[in-house]
Amino acid sequence: MSSGQVRPRPAWPARALARGESLLSNAFGAATNPFHHLGALAIYCFYIALVTGIYLFVFYSTNLEGAWHSVEAITHEQWVIGGLIRSLHRYSSDAAVLLLALHMLRELVRMRHTGVRWFSWLTGMPLIWIVLIFGISGYWMVWDQLAAWVATASAQLLDWLPIFSDPMGSNFVSNETVSGRLFTLIGFIHLVGLPIVLVLGIWFHLLRVRYPRIHPPSKLMLGSLASLMVLSLIIPVTSHAPADLDAVPGVLAIDWFYLAVFPLQSVTSPGTIWLAGTTGTLLLAALPWILPRRRQPVAEVHLPDCTGCGFCAEDCPYGAIDMVPRTDGRNFELEAKVNASLCVSCGICTGSCPSSSPFRQRAPLTTGIELPHFTMDDFRTELDRARDTGQTGERILVFGCDHGVDVEKTETGTAHSMVLPCVGLLPPAGIDYALRNSGYAGVAIAGCADCDCHHRLGERWTQERIDRERPPGLRKRVPRERLFTYWGKPGQEKALSRRLAGFAAGLDQAATPEAPGSALRRTGT
Amino acid sequence: MKALAVAGQGLTWAVLATLIGLFGQGPSFSPYDPGQALIKVSMAHLSERLEPCRQLSAAERAELPPTRRVSEVCGRERAPTRFELMLDGELLVADAVDAAGLSDGGRAYYLEYFPVEPGRYTVTIRLADTPRTAGFDLEREMNLNLKAGESALIEIGDDGVSLETEESS
Ligand code: HEM
Ligand code: SF4
Ligand code: SF4
Repeated sequence: MSSGQVRPRPAWPARALARGESLLSNAFGAATNPFHHLGALAIYCFYIALVTGIYLFVFYSTNLEGAWHSVEAITHEQWVIGGLIRSLHRYSSDAAVLLLALHMLRELVRMRHTGVRWFSWLTGMPLIWIVLIFGISGYWMVWDQLAAWVATASAQLLDWLPIFSDPMGSNFVSNETVSGRLFTLIGFIHLVGLPIVLVLGIWFHLLRVRYPRIHPPSKLMLGSLASLMVLSLIIPVTSHAPADLDAVPGVLAIDWFYLAVFPLQSVTSPGTIWLAGTTGTLLLAALPWILPRRRQPVAEVHLPDCTGCGFCAEDCPYGAIDMVPRTDGRNFELEAKVNASLCVSCGICTGSCPSSSPFRQRAPLTTGIELPHFTMDDFRTELDRARDTGQTGERILVFGCDHGVDVEKTETGTAHSMVLPCVGLLPPAGIDYALRNSGYAGVAIAGCADCDCHHRLGERWTQERIDRERPPGLRKRVPRERLFTYWGKPGQEKALSRRLAGFAAGLDQAATPEAPGSALRRTGT
Repeated sequence: MKALAVAGQGLTWAVLATLIGLFGQGPSFSPYDPGQALIKVSMAHLSERLEPCRQLSAAERAELPPTRRVSEVCGRERAPTRFELMLDGELLVADAVDAAGLSDGGRAYYLEYFPVEPGRYTVTIRLADTPRTAGFDLEREMNLNLKAGESALIEIGDDGVSLETEESS
C-alpha cells in the first residue's frame, strides 16, 4: 500500500489562511464562515445587482438626452428608495469584484487550481473579463462626466487594437459627434448581452463541480445585504455633472473596483494596458501547469464487487463516475466507470460503496471502487495488526485527512491516528469494525471544517452516513456515544486535542495515558 | 462568547462595507492637470492615389468583357497623409499616417488629445496628401482662444481642416 505517495499536506500559505479563517469560523460558525462561501456570495451579489438593475431600468431613459436626467430623478426624486436602490446596485457590483478576487486567491492558496481542477480555474479567467466589462459598460449608462471619460478611454483602448479602421474614439471628440446609436448599443450590452454571457460563463465554470454551492447561507445573505444597505445610506451614490465632451474631464470619483484600468491607462498607454492584461491573464491561466501538484492515482473499479447501485456516482464531488451498461455478463444492469480526467483521488467513492466492508471474509479484501494507494485491504490490515499486537483496548482511533486539522499533531495520550485522503473515504462499516473487531474504545473522525472540505463533500457525506440520511448508513448497533466527530482546519490541533481528551474521558473505560501521539499508520509515507 | 461572536460578525461586515465605501466612489482621479485645456486632433482624410487614374485606349477596352468595359482604371493605393501642427510656431505634433485598408486604399485616420496651457494660440496646420515626399500641399492658420477646462477640436476631413471653436479675429 505504501506506494511512495507523498502526502499532500497544506503548504504554509494555506495553513496561514486557515488560521485567519478560523477566527471567522469562531465568529460566524464554520458552516456559515463567509470565506467558505465566497463564490456563492459573489453570485448573490450579482442577484442583488440584477434585481436593483431591473428597478433602475424601469425609470431609465435609454437615450443620450434623457439618460443623465433619468438617473438624477431616480437618485434624488424618489425619496429614499431610488437612491438606495441605485447605491445598492453599485455597491453590490463592487462587492462581487472584491469577493471574486478573494475567491480566486483562496482557491490558489489552497492549491485547488491544479490537477483535474484546472477546468474550474481556466473557466474562471473569462469570468474576470466579463465581470469587468459588465461593470465598465454600466458606467456609460449614467452619461455624466465620468461616463464621458470612461467612454473616451475605452474607445482609445479598443482603437489600439487593429479592429476598426475608423477610430471609435472619433465618436467622442465633441458633443456633436457622439453617436446615440452607439450609446443605445452599450445600453443593450449592459442590460441584456452581458447578463446572459455572465450566466452562461458561471454555468460553464461550474460544469465539473457536482452540487455546487451557489446559494450562501441566509445568515450571510442577510449580513451582506444589511452592510451594503447601511453603506448605501451613509455614502449614497451620486452622479457627476452631465457629460460634456467639449470640456476637459475634471476631478472624477473613480470606482476602483471596475475602473482602475483607466487611470492606469492615463498614466501609461493603451498598449501597456493590453500587454499587462493579456500577459496577466495568460500567466494566471497557466498557473495550473506552472504551479502543479503531483497527481495521485485515480479511483479504480473492481467489477466483481460492483453491483451497479450507483451510490458512488451519486456521491462523487466531481462527477467522475459514470454508470454504464454492464460489460462482464453479471446479472446487473449497470457498472461504475471512472473518468480519470475528472477524478481528484479523494476516495469518497470508496466510502459510498456498500462493498467497502472490512467484515467481509475475503483476503485480500476487495471492494467495488477504491484508490490504488489506499485500499480497503490496507485499511483492514492496519486495524487487525493494531488489535493483534494488543494496542487497541482502551485507546481511541482518530481518523484524519490530508487537508484538515492534522490529527498526527494532536496531543492525546490514548489515541491512534489514521490519515485518509479524505474522511469521506471512510465507509461506515469501517467505524463499526474499528469498535467491534479491532477493539478500540472509541472512534473519532476529524475532517475539514463545515462547508470547507478540500474535496467539497467529504465532511457532509460522512455526517449524513453517520446520521443514516445517506446510504450506506452507519449501522444502528454502533454505540453513538463511542463515536465523536470534529470538523476543523489546519492549526486547530490544540482545540481538537482538548475535545479528544474530553471524549476519551467520557468513555466508560477510562484509559490509562500513554506516550503522546503514537501514529498507527501514516498513509502513503 | 456569544457577544464576542456577534461583534466579530459585525466587524466583518463593517470591513466589507468600509472597503467598498473607500474604493467604490473614490479616491478621485484627474486625467488632466486642473486648469489645463485640451486640443483634440481628429483626422479622417482621403489622400490622393499614388498612381493617377488612366484612360483606357480603345484597344484595351475591346479586350475587356462587355459588361465591364470601363473607360478608366485606377490604382487602389493612396499616399500617406503627412501633417504638422504648430502652436505659435512651435511644433506640437508631426506625423505621417498610412491610408487604412489592406491595399492602403482607405482614409488616413488619426486621433490624439494634447493637453495645453490655456491661452491664445495661432494654430498652423500643414498637410501633404499627394505622393510628394517634400513640402506640403495645404497650409492653414487659425486663431484659438482656449480657457482652462475647455477643449478645441481640430478636424482634418476630406475637404480640409476645420476648427470647431475658431476665433473670427
Ligand atoms: C463570476 C465569477 C465567479 C463565480 C460566481 C464563481 C463561483 C464559484 C462557485 C459557486 C464555485 C463552487 C464552489 C463549491 O461549491 O465548492 C466555484 C468553484 C471554483 N472557482 Fe469560481 N467563481 C467565479 C470566478 C472564478 C475565478 C476568476 C477563478 C479563478 C481563476 C475561480 C476559481 C474556481 C475554482 C478553482 C473552483 C473549483 C474549486 C473546486 O474544485 O472545488 N472562480 N466558483
Ligand atoms: S476518488 Fe473522488 S473524484 Fe475520484 S471517482 Fe472517487 S469520489 Fe470521484
Ligand atoms: S458504489 Fe460500489 S457497488 Fe455501487 S456502483 Fe459504485 S462501485 Fe459499484
